[in-house]
Amino acid sequence: MLTRILAHINKELLMLVRDRGGLALLFLMPVCLVCIMALVQDAPFRDFSEQQVHVLFRDLDGGSVGGSIKDGLEKAGPFVLTDVSADGTMNDSVFQNLVRSGDYQVGIVVPMGASEVMRIGSQSVVTKFFDPANEGDTHAAPHQDSAFVKVLVDPVVKKAFRELVTSQLGRILASLSADRLLADMTTQLEVLTGKELEPFKVQEPFIGVRQEMAGSELSGTRVAADSTQHNVPAWTIFAMFFSVVLLAGNMVKERDSGCMVRLLTMPGGAAERIAGRMIAFLMVCVSQAALLFTIGVFLMPFLGLAALDLNGINWAMLLLVTLAVGGAGTAFGVLVGSFSMTQQRSAVFGSISVVILAAIGGIWVPLYLMPDAMRMFGKLSPLNWSMEAYNVVLLRDGSIADLWPFLVPLLVFTTICIGVAIFAERMTSRR
Amino acid sequence: MEGNMDIRVRGLVKEYKRGAGKALDGIDLDVHPGEFLGLLGPNGAGKTSLISIITGVRKADAGTVHVQGFDVAEEPDQVHASIGLVPQNIALYEMLTARENLAFFGKLHGLKASEITDRGEQLLEGVGLNERANELVGTWSGGMQRRLNLVTALLHEPAILFLDEPTVGIDVQSRTAIWTLLESINQSGITIVYTSHHLEEAERLCSRVVIVDHGKVIGEVEDPGAKGGADRLEAYFLGLTGKEFRDR
Repeated sequence: MLTRILAHINKELLMLVRDRGGLALLFLMPVCLVCIMALVQDAPFRDFSEQQVHVLFRDLDGGSVGGSIKDGLEKAGPFVLTDVSADGTMNDSVFQNLVRSGDYQVGIVVPMGASEVMRIGSQSVVTKFFDPANEGDTHAAPHQDSAFVKVLVDPVVKKAFRELVTSQLGRILASLSADRLLADMTTQLEVLTGKELEPFKVQEPFIGVRQEMAGSELSGTRVAADSTQHNVPAWTIFAMFFSVVLLAGNMVKERDSGCMVRLLTMPGGAAERIAGRMIAFLMVCVSQAALLFTIGVFLMPFLGLAALDLNGINWAMLLLVTLAVGGAGTAFGVLVGSFSMTQQRSAVFGSISVVILAAIGGIWVPLYLMPDAMRMFGKLSPLNWSMEAYNVVLLRDGSIADLWPFLVPLLVFTTICIGVAIFAERMTSRR
Repeated sequence: MEGNMDIRVRGLVKEYKRGAGKALDGIDLDVHPGEFLGLLGPNGAGKTSLISIITGVRKADAGTVHVQGFDVAEEPDQVHASIGLVPQNIALYEMLTARENLAFFGKLHGLKASEITDRGEQLLEGVGLNERANELVGTWSGGMQRRLNLVTALLHEPAILFLDEPTVGIDVQSRTAIWTLLESINQSGITIVYTSHHLEEAERLCSRVVIVDHGKVIGEVEDPGAKGGADRLEAYFLGLTGKEFRDR
């Protein structure tokens, strides 16, 4: 039996090596896909902190509020400010057109009298605090124009960008208000006590925020799924499953020629034939993974992308995942091959089914970016289980226990595909 | 052993589609050891179905088949070890060389590498293919492929050889080489069961001819060469099967 399986493996590998078109499909296409998709998706994958938001800034206030907003935005990191406050030719219309035309993603206008509104508002609160009977100065009524910093947004800018700017401005204004209030209260206390007090200010929030990875960062520099970290395993999975086109095609070709008839009159059954074919293609899958991961590590930096970070990963688990994914891909191939009546049908069905499973499985776009309904469908795709298994090894530094939730469905899928394929081969071959 | 027959077929029935007519309708057939039996019949007569069931490629709906005493349905491995099949289509991998094809099929039969080499070279030489045996089969002519198709079925030295129209669409030289090889192996004691539309071929090669039509054996000719040649065999054949076309 082993000799017969080895003969099938040898035969498949010899035919593969001589099939130039097939080799291109198995190796060249995924290399192109990895490079192109990683480049295309590089920008969307970058963190906001790595991206620059170009802001057109106009301070009509000229006081402390405008200056503090400008300082706050510049210190915040992603904002590149162009201050046109001193530009005499600037007016509302020109300002608006500059943002609308896309030259700037966001325009911020600090209104005239903003500092005065801040002062009056703070004084009013302080006066009320120390003398509740006093109504205070009501000139700082809310909703007057000078009480709002205007934010103009280029219509094509993503919602996430707008919210980033708005929340940053809100934080700056809240901090400014608190500082002003504390300063005015200090002054009032000095009047009441007759003592000179140290001005006090809240430099840092009493409760801060600290962001951590939900798994240890392996190399210390690795970040959650950048373009390379996503696309290299993603298109490796796609390539392994896409071998269905060649594998199923070879099966149909064997059936169409007299080879299958001859095989049926020889010792050994469908299980041996399928085992031989699957092992040969599994070797191809491991080779694909080795090639694409090598490209991820060494070629990606030359394309201006992050290198695939494999430092500190568990190589045994990586091999286990690759074998599981390759096994599932080749099992799917023999299933398609068993049911396809013509080579054309196997090629069309095989390729389209893999593209659909890849699309819903988070190969093109990670699942977490999809709508809820699609995410639910995506979790049913073997390519998603494969992606998650690779993420456990490459990003989450998971243990073998973390892999099982993804490996078990893959193994069940593989077993079902093989079982049905053997049954179908027996049924169709000896009708 | 079933009465010293190499092949014993009883009451064989095969219907591919319900209501479409029976491909085999209760066929009985005996083949003696060392016999060169020709199965003749018009298109759709049931020749290929009969060979497919005897060799275990297809399953019968009813009836029994014993090959060298082994029941095809119950003991397929024993049957497969003693038979060789040359199918109607070329049963070779085009992306492999002739020697690689022989190595592959030889290993499936459990032959050692040295046995494959020795027998393979001998057979290749016998049909004039040894000098081009390292070329991919896909680059060969139809005649060369047909000759290798036959050689591959003989590699494991089967006791019984089945041939389904082995000389279709080939040149005279290739056909002559195949005839010579078949006569030679039959003289060495191998039983041959063979289908063809070429009556002169059957007349030259076969020791007995069975005529099949509508899934039944409708006639039999012992030693057709002695009947007075292909013309008389043709007259007998047409007398049994009629002159109407058998378009399917």
